[in-house]
Amino acid sequence: MTLVLSLLPVAGALLVVSGVGFVTSGAFVPRDRAFFLERLGWSDAIGCAAVMAFVPAALGIGVRPGWIAFLVFVALLVAAARLLAPLTLPSPPAGGRGNDLERRAGDNDRPLPTGEGWGEGRSFRVLLYSVISLGVAVYTLRALTEPMWANDFIAIWGLKGKTIFGAVGYPGRLRALEFAHPEYPLGLPLLYAGLSFLTGRWDDHAMALLFPFLQAATLLVLFGWLRRRGASSAVAGLATAIVAWFEPLYSAFLTGMAEVPLAFGMLLFGTALADTLDETDGGAVRRLALASALIAATKNEGLFLAVVGFAIALVFGKAARWNAAASALLPALGVRALHLPWRSRLPLADLEVGSFSPDRVWDSLAAAGGLLGPAAWAGLALVVVLIAAGARVPAGNRVLLLAAAALAAYLVIPAFAVRGPAWLVETTLRRTAAALAPLLAAGLAVRFIGASSGSGTGRRASAPNPGPPTPSTRAS
Amino acid sequence: MTRQRFAALAAGLLLVLVVASQPLAELPRRIRTLVAFAPKELAVRRLGGSGTAFDRRFFSFLENARRRMPSSAKGVVILGVPWSVPVIYLASYHFAPLPVSFGYDRVPGALPVPSGWVVARYGEMPTPAGPVITLPEGALWGPVP
Repeated sequence: MTLVLSLLPVAGALLVVSGVGFVTSGAFVPRDRAFFLERLGWSDAIGCAAVMAFVPAALGIGVRPGWIAFLVFVALLVAAARLLAPLTLPSPPAGGRGNDLERRAGDNDRPLPTGEGWGEGRSFRVLLYSVISLGVAVYTLRALTEPMWANDFIAIWGLKGKTIFGAVGYPGRLRALEFAHPEYPLGLPLLYAGLSFLTGRWDDHAMALLFPFLQAATLLVLFGWLRRRGASSAVAGLATAIVAWFEPLYSAFLTGMAEVPLAFGMLLFGTALADTLDETDGGAVRRLALASALIAATKNEGLFLAVVGFAIALVFGKAARWNAAASALLPALGVRALHLPWRSRLPLADLEVGSFSPDRVWDSLAAAGGLLGPAAWAGLALVVVLIAAGARVPAGNRVLLLAAAALAAYLVIPAFAVRGPAWLVETTLRRTAAALAPLLAAGLAVRFIGASSGSGTGRRASAPNPGPPTPSTRAS
Repeated sequence: MTRQRFAALAAGLLLVLVVASQPLAELPRRIRTLVAFAPKELAVRRLGGSGTAFDRRFFSFLENARRRMPSSAKGVVILGVPWSVPVIYLASYHFAPLPVSFGYDRVPGALPVPSGWVVARYGEMPTPAGPVITLPEGALWGPVP
C-alpha cells in the first residue's frame, strides 16, 4: 500500500478521535467563545485519552479492541460526561480587578482583545499565522519522510504498541524485557495499539501523522489559552510561532518517542493548574485532573510533575487550594495504580539511588553546559530577558515554576545514573528539556498580558474591570 | 524603548533564532525522499529509511523471514548476527509480537530451541537436515517440534 493510501485510515481515525473528544469536551471546557481554540486542542487530548483507555478496558473484559468496542466505550464516556454538573464561568468581581476572562465572562459576543499597540496590525497577524502554519507543515514533512525510526521508538514505545496490537494483549515477557523499560508507563504504546486496532493494521509510517496532530493540538491550546488569559494576538502568536518552529522538540528523531505527547500533556497540566488556582471556570479542575492522568500515563516524570503541581497548589492556592492539589495528584496516582498489573517490578534500569553524590550534580550541570552551542546560549539569554521583562502575573509565575522544577529534575536526575551523569545528560537532556518548550512559552507569554495595549510599564497584570458585574453562568 | 517593545524585540529575535537554527537544508532532500518512496510499500520505505541504515541487508533478511514465517511460530531464534543494540532492537521490533532470542550460536551449552519456535539464520552457515526455507540473505527452518 502506498503512503497516501495508508495515511487515509489514520487521518480518518484521528478525525473521529478528535470528533469524539469534541463531543465529550463540554464536560471539561466551557462552550464559551473565549475557550473555542483551547476546546479544539483539548478535544484531541480527550480523544487520545479515550483511545488509550479503551484498549485495556476491552482486553480486561475479554473483548477484541476495535470500532465497536471503541464506540461503546465512547458512548459510556459521553453518558458519564452528561452526568457531570454543567460548567460555569465566574461572575466578574464588582469594581475590582478581574482577569481578562472575568472581564469578558458576561458577554459571549464581545470580541477577543485586539490591542492597539505594536504588532496588532492585520498584516502582522496574518504573517504570524502563516509562520505558525509553515512550522506545522515543516514538522509534518519531517515526521512523514520515513517510517518512525528512533531507537526509543523501535526498542520501547513502538515495540510495546506493536506487541499489544499483534498479541491482542500484554504478554508477560514485556515485564522482563529490560531494554524495553518495563517500568515506563503504557499510555503511548496503548495509543499506538488503539489506533492500529481502529485502522486494522500496524503502520509505523502512517501513524507518524499522530505527531503533527499533537503538535497542532499543542499550538491550539497554547494560543487559545494565552488569548483567553488576555494576551494580545501578537504576544500569543509570537509564542506559538516560536514553539511551532522549535526543532529540538518537533524533529524527525523525536517522532515516535514520548516527548511530543508529554510536551502537550505538560502544557495542558500547567495551564489547567493556573486556571484552577485562579478559578477561571468550573471546568478547570476537571481539566487539571484529566491532564494529571495523561502526563502520568505518558512518562514517569509525569508523576513528578503532578507532585510539583500538588505542592504549588498547596502553597499558592487560596480558596481552591485543596481542590486543585487533589486534582493535580490523585489522578496521576490512580493511573500509576492502574498500571501496576502490567508494570515491571524491576527497578529503574539506568538509575541507582546509591550512585548519587553532590559532585555528580556538578558533573551533570557541567555536561549540560557543554551540550549547548552558541545559538542555544543566545536563545537562553533571550528567554532570561523575557522572564525579566514580564509582569508578575500569578498564572505565569506558577507555570514557570512548574517548568523550572521539571528542568531542575532533569539536571539532577543524571547524578543517579549508573553509567555516569555525563552519559545520561548527553543521551537524554536535550530532548527531555525540549519537551518543556510549550509550557515555558505559556508561562513566559502570559506575563505580557496587556503588553500591546499601550506604552505602559508592563507591570500591569490586567486592566481594571471595565463595567458592572454581569451574570455569567454558561451551561455546558 | 518601553519594556514591551524591548520584550517584543527579544521575542522576535528568539523566533528568528529558532527558525534560523533549523536544518532547513535537509528539507529539499526530505521532499525528494518522500516523493521517491511514497508510492512504494511500507517495508521498502523502511528499508530506505534511517532505522535500517546500519545494515540494510539485515533488514531485508528480517522482512524476508517475516514473510515466510509459519503462522504457528511461537517465537524466533536468530543466528549469525552480531550481538549489537541496533540488531537486537530492530529484530525484536520487526518480529513483534513474537518473542525473539539471540546468542544461541555463541553461548556454549545454550538451552535447546524452545518447542514451536523457528530459527532464522543470517548469512552462510550450516543448516540442519530437514526442510529449510532458503532466503536471499540466510535461511529459515522450524517450527522446532
